[in-house]
Amino acid sequence: MAKYIIKRVIMAILTILVVACVTFVLMRSVPGSPWNSEKAMTEQQIATLNERYGYDKPLPIQLLTYLKNALQGDLGVSLKMQKDRPVTEIITTMFPLSAKIGVVALVWAVLVGVPLGCLAAYNRGKWVDSLLRVVCTLGISMPGFVIANFLLIGLTGQDSLFGLKAIFDASQGAKAYFMPCVALGLYPMCYVARLTRSSMLDSINQEYIKTARAKGLKTGKIIFKHALRNALIPVITYLGPLVAFTLCGGFVVESVFSIPGLGRYFVQSISNRDYPIIMGTTIFLASFVVVMNLVVDILYRVVDPRIDLTKGGV
Amino acid sequence: MAEKKRKKMIGSLQPNVDTMLEWNDLTAEDFAPATQGEKESFIPQRASISYWRDAWRRLRRNKVAMVALGVLVLLVLFAFVGPLIVPYGYEQFNQGAENLYPWHYSLEDQARLDEATGATGGTMEERVAAAIEQARAEAEAEGKKFTRADEAMIRAQVRSSGGTGAGAGSQEALAQAKRELGIHYQPFGYSIAELQRIEAGEKVFPHVFGTDNNGRDILARTMYATRVSMIIGVAAAAIVLVIGSLYGSVSGYCGGRVDAIMQRIVDVIYSLPEVLVILLLSAVIGPHITAFITDHPGALADFLRTVGPNLAAMFVCFAILYWVGMSRIIRGQVLTIKQQEYVTAARALGASGARIIRRHLLPNCIGQIVVTACLQIPSAIFLESFMSYLGVGVTQPLASLGSMCRDALAGLQTYPYRLIIPAVIICIMILSFNLFGDGLRDALDPRLKK
Amino acid sequence: MSEQNNNQDRRLLEVRDLRVSFFTPAGEVKAVGGISYDLNYDEVMGIVGESGSGKSVEAYSIIGLLQSPGKVIGGSITFEGQDVLAFSKEEMTSFRGSRVAMIFQNPMTCLNPVYTIGNQLVEALKAHDKSISMEGAKKRAMEMLELVGINNVAQRMRQYPHELSGGMRQRVMIAMGLICHPKLLIADEPTTALDVTIQAQILELMKELQKKTHMGIIFITHNLGVVAEICDKVCVMYAGRMVEQGPVNDIFYRPGHPYTVGLLRSMPRVDAESYERLIPIEGTPVDMLNPPEGCPFAPRCEHAMKICLKKMPPYVELGEGHRSACWLRVEEQKNGRPFGPGSAPERQGEDGGSNG
Repeated sequence: MAKYIIKRVIMAILTILVVACVTFVLMRSVPGSPWNSEKAMTEQQIATLNERYGYDKPLPIQLLTYLKNALQGDLGVSLKMQKDRPVTEIITTMFPLSAKIGVVALVWAVLVGVPLGCLAAYNRGKWVDSLLRVVCTLGISMPGFVIANFLLIGLTGQDSLFGLKAIFDASQGAKAYFMPCVALGLYPMCYVARLTRSSMLDSINQEYIKTARAKGLKTGKIIFKHALRNALIPVITYLGPLVAFTLCGGFVVESVFSIPGLGRYFVQSISNRDYPIIMGTTIFLASFVVVMNLVVDILYRVVDPRIDLTKGGV
Repeated sequence: MAEKKRKKMIGSLQPNVDTMLEWNDLTAEDFAPATQGEKESFIPQRASISYWRDAWRRLRRNKVAMVALGVLVLLVLFAFVGPLIVPYGYEQFNQGAENLYPWHYSLEDQARLDEATGATGGTMEERVAAAIEQARAEAEAEGKKFTRADEAMIRAQVRSSGGTGAGAGSQEALAQAKRELGIHYQPFGYSIAELQRIEAGEKVFPHVFGTDNNGRDILARTMYATRVSMIIGVAAAAIVLVIGSLYGSVSGYCGGRVDAIMQRIVDVIYSLPEVLVILLLSAVIGPHITAFITDHPGALADFLRTVGPNLAAMFVCFAILYWVGMSRIIRGQVLTIKQQEYVTAARALGASGARIIRRHLLPNCIGQIVVTACLQIPSAIFLESFMSYLGVGVTQPLASLGSMCRDALAGLQTYPYRLIIPAVIICIMILSFNLFGDGLRDALDPRLKK
Repeated sequence: MSEQNNNQDRRLLEVRDLRVSFFTPAGEVKAVGGISYDLNYDEVMGIVGESGSGKSVEAYSIIGLLQSPGKVIGGSITFEGQDVLAFSKEEMTSFRGSRVAMIFQNPMTCLNPVYTIGNQLVEALKAHDKSISMEGAKKRAMEMLELVGINNVAQRMRQYPHELSGGMRQRVMIAMGLICHPKLLIADEPTTALDVTIQAQILELMKELQKKTHMGIIFITHNLGVVAEICDKVCVMYAGRMVEQGPVNDIFYRPGHPYTVGLLRSMPRVDAESYERLIPIEGTPVDMLNPPEGCPFAPRCEHAMKICLKKMPPYVELGEGHRSACWLRVEEQKNGRPFGPGSAPERQGEDGGSNG
């Protein structure tokens, strides 16, 4: 177990390193620079700026310097958007809001999606199943911005029943989070429901379910104890990528509802060529996803005793 | 003897004696040996059904999938045949028909409405002047500056709506007047000028979905956008298909160290947050492609110019990132099939690796490949619309459904249909592809049929 | 009469004209087309037949495990005087496991991989005995494991199924089946997936347990060797029909149906002469979707007659509890020829003569 975790951690670090290098190279090969769009600058001024931020040195040395600093937790300072403010500070102030919305969305997605999937699988072939099937497929067919904008059109406006506002206002409390969380969680919810349904059906057709029935267990016990636990394994597998999705799906939701979160900021930083912010956010989000994948892999062990982590996987 | 037995043995395992009595009717002829021919014709032979025909039969029985297929066909007609019918180009500015709603009032109704709401009668110019005057008064009352831009906007509004949109303040009055007079919307958008032309006996094609603030016909734009989204979806799926199945089958087939290394690469790509990287990549590759277009004239550059640098970048992203899922599925299939005896036999006969992949492995994975590719289309459309919405997808003058939604954001409260129409079409398109893909999976892989 | 009453007292299960159909999109498949048999306490009955002959379907309908689109469309099942088919859902649930138990073919997949052996055993017990304490249930489970010949039970209880060998898992399955002292055990090919040596052990175990508990066993298999080993009587099924049934000696030494003869011929025998070859049954089973009018075995039968292709053969009594559905036997009875060793076809006749 320990050996497997060590191996996976090394792999994770390697992945983050690759992400960092690739991002760096790609980013720096973009024509144009952070100084471009601001008021016209003389050659002299640009050179000074480049020297000040270390952009006059050869690229590989810049990369090494960056990585060295990054390892010590220093991701540089913003060049443009919040001039000279440390990137780590920007991330730590912006991420909690994104994370809060993401976590709430994920939690409701799983809590609603899994039971819905069970319900559909249990009523397989009946109208409940067909209805859920079409609804959930519709749910995964609606891009986040469509859901978010439809919510905006449908639920806000002058005579809104719930007093929901189109623009995110943290002072509104739970109300403010309602629409973003619904918009962000709908896709994963439907995906989880579909996944649960199909893996439940898989699981229901297994022989051990026949054994359980032959033992004279009650239907509820068969479904929830025997079928569901096995069916959850693929659902857990999906949770890793799901975290990534929720983080990235957050980009759109954050821009639709004007939420001052990390996702929206990242999109803005790309068009602004604010190198340290692009790098910092990418590395941060990538690490987050990689770590989540690792956690999910280890979670397997809890649910499925057959997986022997020492032998390197599934 | 038989009679006695029958009475005793009711409810037992004894044969039904009545049938025993019938035995007496049997003749010797009945007990003659049957010929081989008789035996063979005894069992009705069912024609064996090929894999594809069987799959097609199953697919046809799946109502949801068939409806989805029907919708897809309609969408294809909409996107590819539709523009031939609609006389407006997607880039054509229809002057005097800006900001039309997808509905209109007939000329008489319009006149009655104007009267009722007290909107000054008279000529268009007078009405415009009155509306501007009213708006200026309102703005001054609220202490805001009334700019020339505002003035231009109101002028456009008044002209296009035929005077009904004389100002936000009159909206309620308008609604009330409509109720009192019993006036209803007529479907499709026409400008006043167009209505007058119809009056004069001319034939005018309606603006079914209205127009945008440049007077471009939204129906025509939607058709082109659907076409763009569809082409992107299919092309991206094709890219993913080729790269994914090649990579997957080579990795699965070679096994050993090659497989291990190739899978590590897949692992790394798999754990990247895709959307993040795609955003980054398209921002990064876009300018390079622009540079390429300006530096290298030629067919390729022309092509790239039409699709736009962002779109080309998106394809590159698909090629770099999105094949991973596909390659994993194919690798798994290949690993399973590789164990089968017939592959061992082919190898024993000295077939080359390429031949085995081509002749044995791929045909056996084909069902999986088709299904995965089919489900790749909606996910590509999904991603494209997402990117276009964020403004890193297709660029002007090309329009995709995602970019139309983005364009609609400016006037969302006043013209929500500009967002709703393309958004609904995206949803229907992706939904149909998904449902059809699901049906295809069920049909091609009976084991998965749930 | 008195003997008959006695029989009734010892009667555990009566199946009469049981018919099961699967309603598939392609049409109705008559998986079981009217079979009848009796089973007494202390008796082991084998159901023999090739894959798809309906033997498992028949057993599933006794224990109420038939799943959609399968449905019992006729006949009756009487268990200890109760009509099983009339049970409500709840009655069926408490009937399963407590009074009748079933073990399946593949012990590898029949135990839930994510729960420990102990958990699954205790669960079976607690499903039918609400009052039993956790401790008591665990103790019972361990006793059961010991009974089926598993050592080191305390440790085994905490293990997961994948940590046990196939034979060990089948023992666990048997322990799980017997933990509530059922009156009837249905074993659906319990030894097919096991190594031959393990097979012998499991059969031995089942025989031993049956002696201890006096339960009835229905043993479904396609292996006649296993039947000879363990069964008192045998049902031979073909294409959803019971073509022959009778005491095990009758079936082996005086088979009355060409299909049974074929099965016997295709079975390797240690006492066979060296030049004797195994004779396979030619042809393939019938299409169950469009079953023919006559005897389903006719196309593969070397003795097929014209009548066989026209009419389903009736059951003919060949001896005490031995009956067979074949026109050949009808012909013999009609012609007044009594059924005897000499009349059985070919080799079997000779064997029957020398052995019996």
